[in-house]
Formats: sequence, C-alpha cells, structure tokens
Amino acid sequence: MAEMWISMGPQHPMTHGLWTLKVKIDGETVVDTEPDLGYIHRGVEKICEARDFTQITTYCDRLCYASANTWSHAYIYAAEDLLEVEVPERAEYIRMVAVELQRIASHLMWLGAYCPDVGNLTGLVWCLREREMMMDLLQELGGSRMHYNFPRVGGVKRDLPIGFALRCRAKLKLFLDRIQEYEALLDESTIFLVRTQGVGYAKAEEMINHGVSGPNVRAAGHNYDVRWAHPYSVYDELDWEPAVERPSIKGSDCYDRYRVRVEEMRQSALMILDGLDKIPGGADTHYQPGDPAIIGKAPARAAEGQTGFHHFEDSRGESMFYLAGGGEERGKHPYRVSIRSPMFITIPYASKCMIGYKIADIPAIMGSFDPCIGETDR
Amino acid sequence: MGNEVSAKQILSAAEEIVKDVADFGDAVQAEVRNHTGGRRKNPYVFIEVAASKWRELALWLKKSKNVDYCSMVTGIHWPEKADATWQVVVHLLRTGVVNPPVTNKRVHEIKVDIDGLSGNSVPMEFEISMSIPDTREPSVPSVADIWVGADWNEKETWDLVGINFDGHVGMRRVLLPHDSPTGYHPLQKQHKLRYHDFNEMYDDPQGFGRKPEDSGRVK
Repeated sequence: MAEMWISMGPQHPMTHGLWTLKVKIDGETVVDTEPDLGYIHRGVEKICEARDFTQITTYCDRLCYASANTWSHAYIYAAEDLLEVEVPERAEYIRMVAVELQRIASHLMWLGAYCPDVGNLTGLVWCLREREMMMDLLQELGGSRMHYNFPRVGGVKRDLPIGFALRCRAKLKLFLDRIQEYEALLDESTIFLVRTQGVGYAKAEEMINHGVSGPNVRAAGHNYDVRWAHPYSVYDELDWEPAVERPSIKGSDCYDRYRVRVEEMRQSALMILDGLDKIPGGADTHYQPGDPAIIGKAPARAAEGQTGFHHFEDSRGESMFYLAGGGEERGKHPYRVSIRSPMFITIPYASKCMIGYKIADIPAIMGSFDPCIGETDR
Repeated sequence: MGNEVSAKQILSAAEEIVKDVADFGDAVQAEVRNHTGGRRKNPYVFIEVAASKWRELALWLKKSKNVDYCSMVTGIHWPEKADATWQVVVHLLRTGVVNPPVTNKRVHEIKVDIDGLSGNSVPMEFEISMSIPDTREPSVPSVADIWVGADWNEKETWDLVGINFDGHVGMRRVLLPHDSPTGYHPLQKQHKLRYHDFNEMYDDPQGFGRKPEDSGRVK
C-alpha cells in the first residue's frame, strides 16, 4: 500500500495543546513522524530582557498552565544564583510545600487528561476533584488559582496562612486514600490496560541521550532525579525516595509511565506531610510579608559577567534557566534569559517513539509523556 | 540522612575532571566553580573552549567522562564586543543513567546507592562556553550526533539567535513561523523592544511621540 502523510493537529484531542504531528502511515502503521511546534510562541525570553528580576516571575508562571509554581521556582533559583542571594531556611520549606503541591496538581491534571485519551472518562472527573483540593491549598498560599506568582528573589511572598498546616494535612491524608481509588479504577480496567500495556516502549539510556528526563526516565527503571543528583532546597532533610518503576525487558511502556506518576504523587504528599512537621519555627507560626524569616535581602542589579543557572526537577523532567546579568537600566534587567523546557526536547523523542505502532496508539503514547505546549513554545 | 549527593563528592569528582582537561592544552580552559545562591553552593565544572576544539572535547567528555545528557544550548549576541560578538553556552549533565539489569528474564529497577558514588559515577553539572568574533555568519560545530538531545536545542538557537551549527542535519525554524524572513533572528540585539519603561508605554501607547533615535525599533 502506498505511504502517505497525514496531519494530526493543531486541533486534535491527542495534542493536549496547539501543535501539529505530521504522521507518515502505511495502512494503519506509523512509519515516520515529524512534530511541528511554535503555534503559541510568545517570545518570553525576549520579553524578559526588558523586565526586572521580580517582574519575570509573573511571566514564568505563565509558561505552563498546569504547573505554574514549578516554573516560577525554577526561575527564582537561577535568579538567586545570579544575584548571590541567601534564602532563609523557613522560606525553603514553604517553597518545597508549594512546589510539591503543584507537582501533585500537575500529575493529577495529566492523569485526568490521559484517562479520556485511552477511553476512561471517569478518571477525568475523579482527578479534577482531587486537583481542586490542591488548588484550594495553593490559592491560600499564592492568592490565585492558576498563576500564583508566589516565590520572590530571596524568599516567598507570604508565610503559610494560619490554619494552613491543619487543612493541608487533612486534605493530603484524604488524597493518599483517594490515590488508591485511581489505582483500583485504572489497574483493573481492561480497556486501560489494553490501551497502555505493551505500547510506546522507551529505554532509559536512549531517553537520557535524547534529553528526556524526569518521570519518563524513572519509569524506565532508574531512579535518577535532579532533587538528589544535583541537590537544591531541603529535600535531604525529608523522608522520601524517588519513585521508580520496574519496566519490562523492552523498556518502559505507557503503563509504567502512568504507574511512576501515581507513585510520585504519593511521595510528594509524604514529603509535604513530613516538611510541615520539620519546618523551622513551626507550621502554625505566621510571619508578616517581608519578615526576614521568610525573605532574604536581594540586590536589584546584576553586573555584566555575572551568570546564574539552576537545574530544577519540574513535573515533566529537568527544567532550567540560564541568566546572564548586565542588561538594560544598568543591570536591572537580565541581558539574556534562556529557558530549557523539558517538553520541547521530549516531544520530538515521543514522536519517534511511536514509529511502528498503529494510529490508534498515538494518543496513548503521546499522552503518556505528559506534553504541555505552553512551556514548549515559550 | 544521606539521601542526596554531597558537595564533597561533587567537588572531588569535579577536580578530577579539571585535572584531566589540562591535557588539551591552552585551547581548553577548565575550572571548578561554585553556585553562588540559595542554600547549597555546589561546585560545577566550567570549561571555556575554542569553537574549533569543541567537537573533540565533546567526544572526550562523552567517552571518557561519561557525560550522557545535553541539557541546553544557549546563544547570546554581544554586539559591543568585537572579539566575542557571539557566545554559545552549553549545559551538560552527567546523570549516570543506565538500562536496568536483567537476570533470569526479570528486570531489576536501579536504586542508586548515593553514598557509594565516586569518580565517573557522581552526577555532575557542566557549563561550556564558546566565543566567536564578529562575523555575519557565526557558526560552531554541531554535537547533535553525540547527544541527540542537542538536536532541537541547536535548531532553537539558530532559529532565535542566528548561530549556525556545522554538521547539523535538518536545520529549520522550530518556534518562529516557517516563512519568517531569511536572516530574521529576534534574540539578536538589534531587534529592540519598543518600550523601554512603563511611562513611555502608558503615556504614548500609539507611538506618536517617537523620537528619531527610535526609528527601526520593532513596536
């Protein structure tokens, strides 16, 4: 049969955003793919060159609509490296709570979007129900529901609200029970297993060479995680271990990638529960905004020649910012901001991953890598 | 608790790499630098290399030092520096990820013994910097065949900054529209943002009060 190119997207349920996957098919089989990105390129890197270091946080929030906090924190750590800022211990704990809550919310959004992809609409409703709890908690911290603008260079915008620890513990304990509901729903659903098991094999070494990291690599049987390998924040004081899944001999399939994210949500919840007990000063103390206990002093300018970068464990893999100082307004703006988006590198790999499978497997494989187009196109 | 790599492990591994890089001679300068912000000031390896030696160094890092992951390629335009108008910064990681071992047809997932890491197995951050003098067609060698992860990073750097990568197969626009004008790379510094401060933005949103020196700026 003759081969032909078909275009999936930019409007297609598989894409989870606005991009095109060009697929070359032979009958029902995929023989070649080519992703086409850039539909929502906003020029964030260029915009940041005309903003000062506090203003940039707002733009970083908007890089990813499902995982805003991880992106603004990734930027803040790089900015602190550039500006040589000391961060109070308490602020690091509060950030850890914010980031891990966001990681749970992001994975829930992923699972909620992935379930309908493979024919399970109930999963969507259940996941969004629990995501609502996480968003309520994040709203208490940051004041808004999606784009929190929570961290500041040197600390955080606000301390934990009074009673936050109580509500957070109650909700996370409920959530840890509810995770078992997802497992009961999905691990025993024949349709889910048939659609995800045995498709989209990917091996760990190959993924690392292709620049894929995070949960996708941990699903392939190696517990590499930026949080312990290139350590930052307070993760060494918490009781957790990186989620890792036992793959098959051929590598990790879509089912392994689902399993590892569920386990990662559990680890994040345990991490927050542990962190709320260990936070210096106690979780029930409340400092006013601007108190030295939650925000350190930071210079507003960086000279030419100063640089800063930071590798960060985003919910989709390793993200990083590279900042060069000495921009306009005598160093008040960065000269260059460069953003490493994990999905920008993962989408080409995921597209190659589906060669040899059927057209019907494309949504299952693509969705299992957790694409997010906001950060991809920047 | 010891569940993360210690600064001591990173420092001794970084010093070993810097010592071995000295074999390359003057074209490659390596040093151990420290992060300057936040809670930990972990060491990392900074290498300054001439563009002509970059591929040789990259192959050596991959083969001898087990550097397996290309994180990001950044291009920077410095129009005021005649001898270093273009800078390429490459961030690499040594992750140490391997395929999980198989015994008796059963796969065993790897949980790294973090305290036991030493030498080439310690995860490490690398920052590589290359400078190119003033030229209309800046280019450096491509490493997309060494780390496939560099492929789309290099596409993006050419697309936005206009630095070419010799030997890169299939270079094309990735973020800008495919029909963007030839030679249009928005992160070059001659493309200015129209508004330089918010007063200008609010006082003159239509741009009627543009000054002669503003001409040519993209609104």
